[in-house]
Parts: sequence; C-alpha cells; structure tokens
Amino acid sequence: MNEPFETLDHTADTGFRAWGATAAELFENSARAMLALSADTSAVEEREQKSVELESENYESLLVDWLNEILYLFDSDAFAPKRFWVDEVTPTRLKARLAGEPRDPKRHPWTLIVKAVTYYELKVEQRNGRWESQVFLDI
Amino acid sequence: MSLIAQLEKIDDYRWRIPQDKRRGMRTDVRVYASKSILDKIAKDASLEQAANVATLPGIVGSSLAMPDIHQGYGFPIGGVCATDMSSGVVSPGGVGFDINCGVRLVRANLSEPEVRPKLRDLVNQIFRDVPCGTGGSGFVKISPKELDHVLVEGAGWMVRHGYGEPRDAEYAEAGGALGDADPADVSDRAKERGRPQIGTLGSGNHFLEVQYVDQIADDDAARAMGLAKNQVVVLIHSGSRGLGHQVCTDFLREMGAAMKKYGIEIPDRQLACVPVQSKEGQAYLSAMRGAANFAWANRQGITHFLRGAFKRIFGEATQLDLIYDVCHNIAKHERHEVDGKKRDVLVHRKGATRAFPPGHPEVTPVYRSVGQPVFIPGSMGTASWVLAGQQGSMNETFGTTCHGAGRLLSRAAAKKGRDLQSVLKSLEDAGIYIRSETKKGILEEIPEAYKDVDEVIEVVHNAGLAKKVARLRPMGVIKG
Repeated sequence: MNEPFETLDHTADTGFRAWGATAAELFENSARAMLALSADTSAVEEREQKSVELESENYESLLVDWLNEILYLFDSDAFAPKRFWVDEVTPTRLKARLAGEPRDPKRHPWTLIVKAVTYYELKVEQRNGRWESQVFLDI
Repeated sequence: MSLIAQLEKIDDYRWRIPQDKRRGMRTDVRVYASKSILDKIAKDASLEQAANVATLPGIVGSSLAMPDIHQGYGFPIGGVCATDMSSGVVSPGGVGFDINCGVRLVRANLSEPEVRPKLRDLVNQIFRDVPCGTGGSGFVKISPKELDHVLVEGAGWMVRHGYGEPRDAEYAEAGGALGDADPADVSDRAKERGRPQIGTLGSGNHFLEVQYVDQIADDDAARAMGLAKNQVVVLIHSGSRGLGHQVCTDFLREMGAAMKKYGIEIPDRQLACVPVQSKEGQAYLSAMRGAANFAWANRQGITHFLRGAFKRIFGEATQLDLIYDVCHNIAKHERHEVDGKKRDVLVHRKGATRAFPPGHPEVTPVYRSVGQPVFIPGSMGTASWVLAGQQGSMNETFGTTCHGAGRLLSRAAAKKGRDLQSVLKSLEDAGIYIRSETKKGILEEIPEAYKDVDEVIEVVHNAGLAKKVARLRPMGVIKG
C-alpha cells in the first residue's frame, strides 16, 4: 500500500506533503510522515498511551504545534511513538493520543535529527475532495 | 519584473537589487558574489528571501547576502541584517533554529606525517568519545540547577568544572558567553531537550574534521594563530542542539501571535518579529543568549573529549590548543558607523560570521594586529579556510563575512544516482577516512552538493571583508 505522504525537496532542508480523507486523518498522517523521515521506530512497541491537547490560531499553526509536540516528546528522551489517533480537530483545537513506549535510544535512534517544524510555505488545505498538508522541517 | 532582472552590477564582487516599494522593501539588497556564483545563487529562492528581509521594520543599511547564500525558510542562509536597537525589530528566524551554531578550530602539536599512520585509530576513538547524539545523550551529566549556570556562563562553566583548559574561554567570540542571559526566559521544555546533549555533535551538516594545513596564504596572521604548514588541526561544527531549537520554536510561536499587537505585517510567517524593546523581544534576546551560551558549552565539551581521544592515541604529551571559536547564527547588539553616524544596531547573522578587523577592541589581544580569526568549512572531503577579518567588513557588512561553501543541491538531489560505496572509495582515494552514524549523512553531504569553497573565499577576500590566512585539507571526518 502506498503511504499517505511524500517527501519534498528543499536546498538546505527537507519536508513532506501528506493527505487524508478528514482533517483528523491528515493530522495523523502528517505525524507519521515526520516520524518516517526522522526516526527508526520499527522496534517501538505500543506499551502505553499519552494524551495531547493543543490550542492554536488556525489549522496551520495547530499542525506546527502538533508536530513540535511529537518532536519534543521524542527528543527529550521521554517517549517514542508508534501510532497516532486524532480524536478531535477544529481550526483552533486538537485532542489526540499517541501509543508507544518510553524511548530507548539504542532501540529507537534518530535517523535524522529534526531540529524543528517551520512555518515556511506551510499549508493545510482541502483539495480535490481530500485534506492536504505541506510542511518543511529544519534539519 | 523579477528580482534577477533587477540585479545591478556594482563591481566584480558586488551586486545590488534596488529597493522596490511595491514589494514592501524598506531598503535595497546587496549581494557579494562573482558572476559565476551569482548564476548559482539565482537558481533558488535565496534572493527573494533577502528581498523579504529588506521589509523588516527598522532595518539599517542594506539587506546583505554573502556569497555562500542559499535558500532557508524566511531568512536566507548566508544573510545579514542590522536593525535599529531602539526602533527596529528582532526576528528569531534571523538567527535560526540552531542558535549559535558555529565552528571552532583547535591546533595539535602534531604534523600530518605523524598522524597519518594512526589516522583510523584516532578517528574511531573520537567517534566513540564524541557522540553525535542520534543514539541518545552525551557524556556530560549535569543537574537542572547546573544547566541554569551553563546558560549564564557558557564555555567558562565547562572549563571551571574540568571540561577544558583555563585559556579556552578567552579564545572564543565574546569569551564564550554572552551577558544578560536569564535562564528563566528559557522554557522548561528547551532545558529538558538540551540537558542530556552537552558534548554531542548533532546531525545534518554538523561534523568534526581532522585536517592539516596545506597552504599558508598570510605568514604573519598564520604565525599569530600558531599555524604552520602540515600542522594538524581539528575543526568542530556544532550548535545549541535541542535547547536552541526549542527556544526558537517557542518564540516563533509567541511572536507570530504578538505581531498583530504591534501592527507588524511580513511576507512570510517564518520572518516573525517584534520590536527589540518590547517585552517579547527582550525575553527572546535573553533566551537566545542563554542558548548561545549553551552552544559554547557544548563545543567546549566536545573539545574536552577530543583532547582525551588524541591523548589516548598519541600519548599524554599531546597538546590541543583552541585557536578561536565563532558563531554563525546569532543576533548581537553592536555599534556600527552608518552614513557617517555611530548607530546601536542588532546585527542578525543567519549563516554568517563576525569578522572584526585588526585593532578592534573585541578581538582577542593575540589576534588584534592581524584581525579576528574566521573559519570557513568547505564541503566534506574538499578544503576549509582560515581567514582574518578586515576593515571592509566594518565599512560595508556590519563586521561580517560568509560562513561556508553554501549548499547547491538539495539532499534528495545529492543522493540521486550515487551509492555509498563509490563515495567512500573516492574519499579514501583522497586519503580521507570517514565515520558516520548514518549512511544518509554521508551521501547528503557529498562535495558536489556544495559550491566550490575556494571560489566563495575569493569573493570575500577580494571584497576586503576577510583575508585568506591558510587552507586546510581533511584527513578524518566524523559526521552525525
């Protein structure tokens, strides 16, 4: 099965385009896209869940906040996610759950250290009957 | 009319895009480049980004583009802009996510023929002792309380706690610590991300290279820096790791919302900015200084473990002396003469290096007669340069020069059609031994992905921003 995202090119950095049937699915797939670029989570087991609630100005900044939240969880050595569920998403509010386990750097290494999620040419839009996002990452 | 069509030639190394008010530009763009470099620059969006920087409120002088400029996000990488300290703005994007990403050069009391036979052992030892951080944390363990001291004291804290030699902190821009950093302005999240990472390189374009001096271009300056032909040196390129990234993330978010309050409109959210003197602006600058100090502590930690690795391979008498340490992602309050008047400005250097000339009081005394040392890493496996700041930088570029060769190819384009074995073989043929945490790291950083560093250096040398001192050739490379 094809993944619901693709990598984008940028002179210094990298990014992705993701899509989904609903906004919730788009946010889930965007998280998967970033994780696929940055870490090897093949050995991660779904042992525990974490809940995330975020508020922001609009879909775009909400997506940046959501991805930065995942980055923070991973980078601070706290949590390696495997699966994402976005339970509720409005233009200003997101409720989601992550399943994974406490991060073990030996089993869950970064393959690429993502420094941050940028606002550069950031897009969340509905096109051709589906939701699409475009995100550039600083690496 | 496109920006490229508006380019005017000033001389062989200087170009100009005039102010275009329809684009909201408050000033012009000045580009430092040869014709052939300019043709390469024109291929991505970097000049458009330099024109966007020219829209920032309170910009003083021109929006500047160095010859290594390439497309960033918001600000171009290789861009410089000064804003008025009292009426201008500060932009976290003008510093970047990797606050005080920078380079330091360390010289060894060893020559190339002495190191060559044990090169593999040395590189493998350094690879063990200086982790890149993709697998986890570094070897410096500090408490949250100690981290607050690091944020205030930078490299000096590390030296005092056994991670360095007494003279190390003096041989760094700003003495390895910027004043007025309040740890309370750095979020708990940033501290959590950064605390385990002191003494780690990072990935992407960060690296550590064992090199030797293959050419001396200026005898006096090389002597002042203790550099002789065939001497072995180590170039370290790293920054503030997760701590700096989180500080930038935190403030971009906050400023994006605060801009409305100050009535600021910008063409790209990544350029988010607020008045320097606003509450948010002052908090950012304080947190940025803390992150900068963390980066100096990080490079100091790396230096400490590097010394241990050299001693293990070459014996206890091995001496590694820090030549200098420069930042290339920073915003600093400096005084510069603009149109005959002294002005207090905030110089944003995004992928650009301070290059103060001979006689400047902020240059470490031993270098004051030759100019501040500047280190320009080339691409992996080619060459790097040691330069010394010149008077032209004070006259034209707020005391600034370039910071690297500048990317030419995207990472995906670099990898296309190349396999790891042939890249490793060509490096080995050139006498270079490389260790990397990931294969991707090597393929994405191949020499062809960058401009020719010699050509970039020619521009800043001939434009009088910084002069050539010595060229360095790599022998061993460690990449994240």
